[in-house]
Amino acid sequence: MNGFLEYVPGDSFLHRMNPVAKLAAAFILVIACFATSNFVVLALVLVLDAVLAAQCKMVPQALGLAKAVAAFSLLLALIALLFTPRGDVLVQLPWGYIGTESVVAAVLVIVRLVACAVPLFLVFYVTKLNDMANAMVKQLRVPYKYAFAFTSTVRFIPVFMNDMVGIMEAQTARGVEFDGGLAKRIRLMVPLCVPLLVSSVRKTNSAAIAAEVRGFHLRTRQSGFKEYPFATRDYLALAASVVILVLAIVF
Amino acid sequence: MIEISNLTFRYREGAEPTVRDINLSIPDGTFVGITGAAGSGKSTLTYAINGIIPHCYPGDFYGSVTVDGLDTCEVSLTDISRLVGSVCQDIDSQMVSSVVEDEILYGLENFGVPKDEIEGRIQEALDAMGIVDLRDRSIAGLSGGQKQKVAVASVIALKPRVLVLDEPTAELDPASSVGVFRLLRSYARNFGTTVIVVEQKIALLSEFADQLLIVDNGAIVFRGTPPEVLAHSDELLEIGVNCPRSTSLVNRLRAHGLYNGPAVCNVPQAVEVCKEVLA
Repeated sequence: MNGFLEYVPGDSFLHRMNPVAKLAAAFILVIACFATSNFVVLALVLVLDAVLAAQCKMVPQALGLAKAVAAFSLLLALIALLFTPRGDVLVQLPWGYIGTESVVAAVLVIVRLVACAVPLFLVFYVTKLNDMANAMVKQLRVPYKYAFAFTSTVRFIPVFMNDMVGIMEAQTARGVEFDGGLAKRIRLMVPLCVPLLVSSVRKTNSAAIAAEVRGFHLRTRQSGFKEYPFATRDYLALAASVVILVLAIVF
Repeated sequence: MIEISNLTFRYREGAEPTVRDINLSIPDGTFVGITGAAGSGKSTLTYAINGIIPHCYPGDFYGSVTVDGLDTCEVSLTDISRLVGSVCQDIDSQMVSSVVEDEILYGLENFGVPKDEIEGRIQEALDAMGIVDLRDRSIAGLSGGQKQKVAVASVIALKPRVLVLDEPTAELDPASSVGVFRLLRSYARNFGTTVIVVEQKIALLSEFADQLLIVDNGAIVFRGTPPEVLAHSDELLEIGVNCPRSTSLVNRLRAHGLYNGPAVCNVPQAVEVCKEVLA
């Protein structure tokens, strides 16, 4: 089982792309998804998603994400369904009606969110965080401090989750019963945030020291050992996503 | 050359100084082992050498520490780090990357090691720690011992003049622990690296270190070559330091007047002494 944003190794087209190019292409696709209401364009993006996921050998993970996003967007779809009174009347509501167009709008919300979430998801899983950060520092001239803060945050999430599990297990061993209703669990977990916070502050402090004794302050844009040149495949991918964006805007 | 004179340090939140009246001079290329009971101030002593105190923890700092002529209070932590490579006790929080290779690259990149040398240094460090196969692994998925090896590799790749390691073998199996110590000793012998190791496993320390320091309650109570220090096994036990059993055996022979040579550090030496006594 992979942790949150833990790199999935591989050798696919997406793996070999330049980190900045993949991120840019993914964002262009996101914009395209929001710019269009055309199901054909969205279907095209979905097909592309499926091909990319298959190429990265991440179909199960991508399906899992798609399901999660669909479940979440169900709520938004419901709102769209109830509050966009358009088209032929299907159901009369006290404040308006559900029309044929409302149903279309609701389905659109789900398809659009799923289509745009998958590329971003794939990009984050097939790119090493360090490569992403270093490429951003080198090519987008993001200050290293911000890139480091970003990578450290992601790196520390599982560490803190482990800590929380450890604290809860220690409490369970001393007789606290965490099973039960959600409200009860939350009530029991709130006081545990204090030790978690203390250990987190300690850990981040020693992480900062560790980075400093290995020359954090000396790092400049030129320090990075790996270069991230744009290759033909990057231009191709960017061009393809721009084509999709144009299609999305035109139709 | 590390020179510590009259060092006393009290953490801001501490009532008593954690280390007191430390006077120490360590020549280049010496392998120094530090041990003592938990809370005796061993780690704080290493912080004084790698500059973490006074630069990172607030408190009262008296006396002076110089590394290669640099007063650690007067230069920045970054400047000290160019000379002193450190491995801290908390392995998890000292990782700065998510992949092993990047972790080793990090210091090399920052300290501006020439780019054509970098690949060789990475390979050498991984090889020295026997973790070449971990190069592309994600750090989150490594065991404690593997992480410890990565931490040591990322520091030796920098080839610092001084290595300060706080319990570098705490999570390692006995064979790997010996491997790490053998490696550290070869750095001291071949490159003149000064190696300072805090370690609970006194048998390992006495086998490899040139000098042993026993810290109790913030002060150095014994120092000298391992046989010199180990001759005091009874006093050591009183302050919570267990000697190797071979040492205790030989010291007992001495207490009974059967032997009057130096203390021993390992089983083969003890066997020799026993043979001599029995003969």
